[in-house]
Amino acid sequence: MSAVYLWLCERAGIDKIWETLFARKVPHAKGPAAWLYTLGSATLMIFTIQFITGALLAMSYAPSPDHAYDSVRFIDDHVLLGRLVHGLHHWGATFMVVLTALHMMRTYFMGAYKYPRELTWMVGVGLFLLVLGFSFTGYLLPWDQKAYWATVVGGNIAGQTPVFGPYISKIRLGGEDMGAATLTRFYAIHVLVLPALIAGAIGVHLFLVIWNGISETPKRAGKQVAP
Amino acid sequence: MNWHEEYRKKYKELKEKGVPFFPDVVLLDTIAACLVFALLVYLAAFHPPHLEGLADPTDTNYTPRPEWYFLFLFQALKFFPGSMEAVAAIILPGALLGVLFLVPFLDRGPERHPFDRPLWTGLGIFGLCVYAGLTWAASKSPLANPAEEKRPDVIAGKRLYAQLSCAYCHQIKNEGGRVGPALDRLSDATTDEWLSKHLRDPQAGTPGSRMPKMNLLDDEVSALTAYIRSYNPNDPFTPAAPKLFAENCSACHRIRGEGGDLAPDLSEIGAMRDKAHIQKYIQDPAQFNPDSTMPAYKGQLKDHEIEDLSRYLARQRRR
Ligand code: HEC
Ligand code: HEC
Ligand code: HEM
Repeated sequence: MSAVYLWLCERAGIDKIWETLFARKVPHAKGPAAWLYTLGSATLMIFTIQFITGALLAMSYAPSPDHAYDSVRFIDDHVLLGRLVHGLHHWGATFMVVLTALHMMRTYFMGAYKYPRELTWMVGVGLFLLVLGFSFTGYLLPWDQKAYWATVVGGNIAGQTPVFGPYISKIRLGGEDMGAATLTRFYAIHVLVLPALIAGAIGVHLFLVIWNGISETPKRAGKQVAP
Repeated sequence: MNWHEEYRKKYKELKEKGVPFFPDVVLLDTIAACLVFALLVYLAAFHPPHLEGLADPTDTNYTPRPEWYFLFLFQALKFFPGSMEAVAAIILPGALLGVLFLVPFLDRGPERHPFDRPLWTGLGIFGLCVYAGLTWAASKSPLANPAEEKRPDVIAGKRLYAQLSCAYCHQIKNEGGRVGPALDRLSDATTDEWLSKHLRDPQAGTPGSRMPKMNLLDDEVSALTAYIRSYNPNDPFTPAAPKLFAENCSACHRIRGEGGDLAPDLSEIGAMRDKAHIQKYIQDPAQFNPDSTMPAYKGQLKDHEIEDLSRYLARQRRR
């Protein structure tokens, strides 16, 4: 055991990695406020679940208007634990949005975006947009009535953008109207483009969190005691 | 920016006096993650996602509901009708995101406690209240956004209408030029065939027409026809319809000043809803709004009476 450990330390520096990631010290957050700091890692946990369940769903899902709906039905009714996996991914999407929003509120109201964590915050806003992008593109994939019409409406809203509107709709839909091209496009964005972007952004976000250290719980300016 | 150095110094001290990330913080993170995960599994197992019917692009009466966290946007759109829609749909959210993105550069003092930043804390709480209020209102409201246009041919027609500058000569909803007639109040005798023919070649139907010939493609003609038609539903109603309305509905609803005000004024319902939707609503309001106080009329009125009423209501639009 220890021989393997030493071998890995020498070659991969796992002791150093452990030190910087886990043995580092952080300011002591006392009382209930400490729980607010768990929101980010809870989001990360849900993201992992989405990644795993998403990969499992993709194994049986067919991104074409002729087969999408039936393949989702098939997952629900015939794939081993399919309904559960589908359910986890479905609710996980809502959790992801809610937890990201709560985590954002925690950093906003605690002023955690201030020097030196401005960049962490800005990457965070990008993450929030990516999460909403997942939600919007994923909503279409079951190709049921709700999926179809909500996306039509969402598309009309995006098409309202001054000047660029018509181009946005065209690129998004893959043509003039919603159809097969829209579905494959949304699918590719949902399973290839967005995951790549969000994985990179989460990496940068976490790097910045560790680099700057987690912020201390804020104190009233007047009551601040000199250290 | 001298407080920066001070902050660094103070933070370093706090860190030295602090706790190790593992196990202290990791323990809390793990507990929280387990609780969240348990709730997730519970919901996934006992409230599995509900699949509706297969997407039907021709079913124009389906009223879509977005995920609840996007509902506020639908509600916001109602405050900005017509051409102002872009303001609610894109410009306001865009500006908000911009502010959010730049918050660290707008609020840059050393104060971190929410009470020491009354402006930003206030803005945050105000924003959350607006969001909650809009979501609540949207969840209560049976009306989806009136500006939402769901028929692809109508949307295409609307786009063409703008691209070809028809509004230079024609009015719709009192907007546009007065060279030609207003297109939202065509005579009842106008048929789709006549419209298509007129659009293809104005001079053919109306010799000496001052309307230019546009050399439109067939699907452009049908899109424009559908768009114009959406403002001119052509199912005639019988003289019995207003009487049926007065007898059954005017206790609650008002049309052009006549009737009660226990329920929405229906004078402009035709501008927001098509006939088929109105028909379904009269048959059974609960399918759109479970807490509806309006009685279901299926069985109370004869089917042809409901049909007649729906046609009558679909004609009620702004003049
Ligand atoms: C240069 C001005 C002009 C433009 C541009 C124009 N029209 Fe017209 N349009 C007229 C005039 C004038 C009439 C009145 C009858 C006539 O002279 O043919 C008319 C009549 C019509 C009618 C028949 C209305 C009726 O009940 O008699 C329709 C429908 C119509 N236009 C649609 C359109 C559409 C759609 C466009 C855009 C593709 C358009 N028009 C562009 C001038 C114009
Ligand atoms: C007891 C009062 C009452 C009576 C009687 C009544 N309604 Fe309603 N109606 C309402 C209320 C309240 C609403 C608002 C939404 C809801 O609660 O469903 C409504 C909504 C509607 C809507 C939907 C408007 C929308 O926003 O889509 C239509 C259409 C309508 N009524 C038609 C009728 C017709 C036609 C009759 C007569 C056959 C009628 N109502 C009789 C109370 C009434
Ligand atoms: C995919 C979504 C996200 C993940 C997985 C994530 C993850 C994390 C984690 C694990 C932390 C450590 C501290 C904590 O948990 O509170 C953190 C900190 C932080 N996050 Fe996020 N985050 C996400 C989105 C966001 C968003 C949307 C924002 C804001 C716009 C944001 C802003 C911040 C800031 C400013 C910090 C530093 C907090 C401090 O030092 O006190 N993050 N993030």
